Amino acid sequence: MSLSRRTFAKRSMAAGAAPLVAGGLTLPRAAAQESTIQLASNGSNPEPKKRLEELVKRFEEENADYKVEVNVTEHEAFKQQIRTFLASDNPPDVLTWFAGNRMRFFADNELLLNLDDLYAEQGLEEKFPAGILEVSKGNDGHYYFMPTQYYHWAVYYRPSLFEEAKVEVPETWEDFLAVCDALTGIGKTPLTIGTQAPWTSAAWFDYFNMRTNGPEFHIELMDGKQAYNSQEVKDAFGHWKELLDKNAFIPQPEAYMWQDALTPMVQGDAAMYLMGRFILDSYPDEAEDDLDFFRFPIIDAGVPVGEDAPTDGFFASAKTDNVEGAHALLGYIGTAESQQKQFELGASPGVNIDIDPSIYDENTQKGLTMLQESDYIAQFYDRDTHPDMAERGMSAFIEFWNNPDDLDGILDRLDEERKRVYEDEA
Amino acid sequence: MATMATPTPATTTVAEKKTRFPRRTNWWVPYAFLAMPLILYFTWVIGPMFFSLYMSFTNADGISRMDWVGFRNYRRLFNDDIFWVSFWNNVRWLIAFITIPIVLGLSLALIFNNDLPGTRFFKAGFFSPMVVSSVVIGVVWSWMYQPYGLINEMLSQLGRDGTPIGFLSDPKLVTWSIIGAGLWRQVGYVMLLYLAGLKNVDTTLVEASRVDGASAFESFRDIVLPLLRPVTVIIVVISTIDALRSFDLVNIMTRGGPFNRSSVLAQMMYIEAFNNYAMGYGAAIATILGLISLVLILYYLNRTMKDEMEY
Repeated sequence: MSLSRRTFAKRSMAAGAAPLVAGGLTLPRAAAQESTIQLASNGSNPEPKKRLEELVKRFEEENADYKVEVNVTEHEAFKQQIRTFLASDNPPDVLTWFAGNRMRFFADNELLLNLDDLYAEQGLEEKFPAGILEVSKGNDGHYYFMPTQYYHWAVYYRPSLFEEAKVEVPETWEDFLAVCDALTGIGKTPLTIGTQAPWTSAAWFDYFNMRTNGPEFHIELMDGKQAYNSQEVKDAFGHWKELLDKNAFIPQPEAYMWQDALTPMVQGDAAMYLMGRFILDSYPDEAEDDLDFFRFPIIDAGVPVGEDAPTDGFFASAKTDNVEGAHALLGYIGTAESQQKQFELGASPGVNIDIDPSIYDENTQKGLTMLQESDYIAQFYDRDTHPDMAERGMSAFIEFWNNPDDLDGILDRLDEERKRVYEDEA
Repeated sequence: MATMATPTPATTTVAEKKTRFPRRTNWWVPYAFLAMPLILYFTWVIGPMFFSLYMSFTNADGISRMDWVGFRNYRRLFNDDIFWVSFWNNVRWLIAFITIPIVLGLSLALIFNNDLPGTRFFKAGFFSPMVVSSVVIGVVWSWMYQPYGLINEMLSQLGRDGTPIGFLSDPKLVTWSIIGAGLWRQVGYVMLLYLAGLKNVDTTLVEASRVDGASAFESFRDIVLPLLRPVTVIIVVISTIDALRSFDLVNIMTRGGPFNRSSVLAQMMYIEAFNNYAMGYGAAIATILGLISLVLILYYLNRTMKDEMEY
């Protein structure tokens, strides 16, 4: 009873409040002239929500003809609902989503609005880095995606513990192993990780595979064109096993969510964490002075350097009846001005190269430089490969973690899944 | 479908109201009254059930065209390790849910059936988990199960050394840990049903048996237990259903992990259909899960009905 009443109240609030807020901001005009843009967002946490509100407010100030109706869905639920949204007869006009493969699935199903005109009109090919342009295109080579922000992944560490163990930031795999040994020597756990949600382990796989076999092999593997039980992949896991054999990770990582696993690091018991830039959102601010990061160590110097840098952004539905509005909003989202403002409000660095670099603090600048110096930008395991494959793959990483000696069997089974997933696709 | 054809009765019923005792009732009148609920039932329950069955023979992914693939989803299912892991975990849930709550719930009900001081408080205490949403139960128990959570801390206070027990990270332990949280909720529920049942047991019968020289245990076994039979039937059916549809706690506490070792069929179905977008495959899992429930419940009800007849 109370539940249904509450949902009802929430719904009527959402329905009532959105136009109210939007209506208050636009100047009173004849209703017919205003056109409403439906925007579906997955930014359900307070911070992203606030940022989106700000973005919409600024957009409406500049474009008084448009009203934006925002509809926020919880992040994980959004991943499921977006299919229903896009397949329905009356989809939202503009939606948040991820660049690369995750976006291409919808583009292949002809559910996305072609943005070639918008890109040409605003000269966006000159404004976004090449790697970002690449992940904004569908498989047919047309633009479907408006990227907004991206963030680096790196090994975050506590300099004070490195000092205590008398080690320098490692650049090669041998150095890295030596650092682990030295940290163990002073009674610290070298690495922390929480794998209750297993995606954190996928970062390790991405880097081991890219550093051992190169980004090209990695992407072919992600596309199902290489076998999981190949010698190359086994070599990549071999490095992983070196760390497991050394007990370099905290015990029972499956018991922790990724945020919980920060605790040993904050308390000074663990020294390093392979994590995205968003670690800063959860790391206690007062402890951030003693937190730095370095590029994942080079394993084979002869292999091009690939980095994980997931890119977020927006796209429009192909069925939108407000193409002009969608173009206007997406165009605004792509501007340096908008992305700069978003960064100042706590977002990740924008992709537009016209953003004044002086707004970036030293750490952000360092991360961007790291990405610019890399040879290839990957999106992250569960964004680069088929969702079904990602689910099976991440599960296999945890199984390997529990049972490293069964690697061959695990990879054989995983490759059966790969064959099935990509056969279904064909 | 037949209900669609029945005419709407609005005017005729008004006419009939005038005669207080209608001589004969038109055969379609009950159907007319049932039309609305039946239409809803067919639209929202029966229809989707058959659609889901149909979907299990397709490669539906929620967006692209659905193509008929015959038994491919089912063939894949029976060769899928995760299916068998989930299936056996469901069996574990089933065994635990049928045995433990009945034994504990009945014991508690027998204790609280006596008017001891403070029983109200304890009754309310044992029943209170039922009031809490299962999501909250899942979150609270996963905190308690953490390596440095309540349970491990208590154990180490009691003198247990070594690494903390990985209730939710040890592949062998994880399903039992989640079942533990589920039982915590279920026991109070079963206790309440038995308490209600005990109120209907005629105390004079028990007293008579005692006068005739039966021991307390004998009168319990031969008088009380048979009289509680109808309640037990209900409890077994409810527990079976609850065990087979277990999903909320699994999804909240581990999402099936580590590496699917705590998965159950409903959890697997959810992941396949809504995470991997394999709707057809998910529908096949749902069909199998539905069949299992149907067979178990029909078998049990059929057997107990037969016993009832013999009385």
